[in-house]
Amino acid sequence: MENNLKNRLFSTGIRIIAFALFPLIWFMTQAILFRELSKTADRWLLITLAILVGSSFIFILYLGMNKLISYAPNQYQEALFGAMFVGPAIFLLSLFLFYPAIRTIYLSFFDNRGENFIGFENYRWSITDPSMLITIRNQIFWLVGVVLLVILFGLVVAYLSDRLKRGEAFFKSIIFMPMAISAVGSSAMYKFIYEYRPPPLTQIGLINGLRVSRGFADDGSKCGNNTFTDNGEKIGYTSDGCEVPVGWLQQRDLQNFPLFENLDPGNTFLNLLSNLPLNTILLMIIMVWMFTGFAMVVFSAAIKAIPEEIVEAGRIDGASEGRIFLSVVMPYIRSTIIVVATYLTISVLKAFDIVFVTTRGDFESNLLAVKMLDEYFKFLNQGRSAAVAVIIFICVIPIILLNVFRNKAENTI
Amino acid sequence: MRKSIFGLLLILSMVAIACGGGLEGEEVLMFGAPATDGPDGKAIQASFDAFEEETGIIVTYVGSENFESEVQAQMEAGNPPDIALWPQPGAVRDAAERGFLIPMADLDVDMDAYRTNFSSYLVGLGEVDGVAYGGAHAVNLKSIVWYQPAEFEKRGYAIPATWDEMIALADQILAEGMTPFCFGMYSNGATGWLATDWMEDIMLRTGEGTASYDQWVNHDIPFNDPIVKNAATLLSQIMHTDGYVVGGTDAIVSTFFGNAQDPMFERDANGNPGCFMHRQASFIPGFWPEEAKEGLGTETTSFPFPAIESGLPPAALGAGDMWGVFNDRDATKAVVEYMLSPDYFTAIATNVNDAGSTRISAHTGFDTSLYWSPVVQAQAAVLSDALAANSFRFDGSDNMPPAVGAGSFWVEMTELAVNGPSYIDTALDNIENSWP
Repeated sequence: MENNLKNRLFSTGIRIIAFALFPLIWFMTQAILFRELSKTADRWLLITLAILVGSSFIFILYLGMNKLISYAPNQYQEALFGAMFVGPAIFLLSLFLFYPAIRTIYLSFFDNRGENFIGFENYRWSITDPSMLITIRNQIFWLVGVVLLVILFGLVVAYLSDRLKRGEAFFKSIIFMPMAISAVGSSAMYKFIYEYRPPPLTQIGLINGLRVSRGFADDGSKCGNNTFTDNGEKIGYTSDGCEVPVGWLQQRDLQNFPLFENLDPGNTFLNLLSNLPLNTILLMIIMVWMFTGFAMVVFSAAIKAIPEEIVEAGRIDGASEGRIFLSVVMPYIRSTIIVVATYLTISVLKAFDIVFVTTRGDFESNLLAVKMLDEYFKFLNQGRSAAVAVIIFICVIPIILLNVFRNKAENTI
Repeated sequence: MRKSIFGLLLILSMVAIACGGGLEGEEVLMFGAPATDGPDGKAIQASFDAFEEETGIIVTYVGSENFESEVQAQMEAGNPPDIALWPQPGAVRDAAERGFLIPMADLDVDMDAYRTNFSSYLVGLGEVDGVAYGGAHAVNLKSIVWYQPAEFEKRGYAIPATWDEMIALADQILAEGMTPFCFGMYSNGATGWLATDWMEDIMLRTGEGTASYDQWVNHDIPFNDPIVKNAATLLSQIMHTDGYVVGGTDAIVSTFFGNAQDPMFERDANGNPGCFMHRQASFIPGFWPEEAKEGLGTETTSFPFPAIESGLPPAALGAGDMWGVFNDRDATKAVVEYMLSPDYFTAIATNVNDAGSTRISAHTGFDTSLYWSPVVQAQAAVLSDALAANSFRFDGSDNMPPAVGAGSFWVEMTELAVNGPSYIDTALDNIENSWP
């Protein structure tokens, strides 16, 4: 009994030394050393030392902890070694993930500089402020639209390409290619597609270029995107009757288009449709374009894993192609769809680059992630920025929980 | 194992003991928004190179497109540069209020000389509770309208000296089947600032001039005051009169401000330019197409924004940058002293390394004949006179709280451009209500 207590005390002591004192002292020596060195030492010497000493840091850390634990009583050693390997990971996770998360939640209850407690005021703002309401509306549009469209296109492309006799790999790599372009790159590309120049300048945007170079003016002359005829005459698009270029990313609704001008107030459908946020949808297209390839690859792998016999059996029983897809293929790839949907939902909640590069949130096209940044850096309001961050965080929680429970349910089967 | 660690530590600590003396070879880092390899960044570095030759202090200028967010993060993390160059004084005051900056008086700056040289108005922009934290750097002129003299002469147009003359000229151009104004205010994440600039220029020339302008910026008069409403109405006259702006009212918010003037350089089938007048700040030539840049000062030049109400002295609207200092090392102090002397701008103004910077010194004692370009010389003369006469006013939206100056004011001006004159009251009421 007494021996047991002694052992336990001893192992606690070892634990404190191995997991707290030793790493702390080791870390502090490094920190102090480099702090002093960086003031005086030559830059190249510093870089070399940082690589040498820095890379051996973890090695020496584990070596020391290992040595210390070996002094502990035998029956505790196994548990301690386990803790030794998990410990640094948990420590780093709490330092870089848990601590900032808790700090953000804390700050969301304070004012713009994080000085005075203001309760739920930032959250009240986030559900009443018009710009926030628009941002939340856009976020919902994105969540529903992007996730559904990517899954739909991904499924269709994967299923159809699976049927191809030749060139499946080529076809799939073409669809997958946008995934290899960075989000910023794709956004910049699409920005050129949607680009607008004031008349009479040459339209350099793809859509406006096509738009203004077709048709004829009222006086019967051709419209053109400032092209030249053989005898050097310029064909512009400024005459009456030619199509007018449109600033696509600045259209927050459809009301500037002929179909929706002078609407009959009784026509509820057209009136609702005229409020469709065009620029938000045009930006969503960028993300759909980028992620369809990803969904396709995952679905394609899942479809290929379906045993051929089952599909054959369905055919022999006389099921149509659509029936086979719905009743045979779908149940098989359902969990894959859920995984892809989860990934997409989280990606959309974090979506930032597309809006940041194209409109930066102007003309009611903002998203939560950009709004969070704006509140902090543009309006210098820490509290509101933190509140938006917490809202994004809260939106992600149910999806994570859903996945955890689904995994558990599958494991029990 | 243990022995080798101690050995290593010993060697490292010996290496650490090495010290320099004097300011020779000391390094000072300046961080700002103009890109390091852009015209302004290169010019600033050229000026510091001259300083290094004299004193041996190595000053490095580093610029970043995301300067404001980066410097914010650096301040919070306790790792700021030695000197930061902010594009607006408001950010300097914010950093000072949060206790990050060293007051100018603690940097061995002769405050009386500083006030005389840079005008007490500019110095005041960097003050918090009467303590100056910011150093005035460069200023630019916004109260100008760009035009092409040859096109004006060919048609017998005179440069309008008053608002009414400008409107009469616009009507005449319109009647002759052409478009008077270029106007584009789209700007990623900042759409609307061009209209706020117009408002400020109009405010300086209506009501009680600079006096009512200051009241407006400091919110001593409400945002929906009749003087402000009058200014918005005049602006709306430009934006919403049929045929006044290129591409019509719809095009105003879609046109990127940097491309807005391009129609002026285009010629239609009859040889007429796409527009005749473009009110925009002195930095806009940087956005022109290459061929147009060559004609700066000859083919394309500017006239002062016309007077509106008679009896008001001429005023100049402008903007400028301001630096703040994060430590009081002797080397930093020496750099501060240099930046407050007229010598600092010599290299920038004379375009010593062909960088092509069009920055104008905020130092009223700087010899304006030194500027390399006649256009800059003319602007510098206007600015210098305005500073000396205390009729220079800083971009008001930069000095309003960010929720207004970078928020509702921009947004509501964009809405006004889209929705037309009937929206003026709503726009001004919304801005008034958003004032924190």
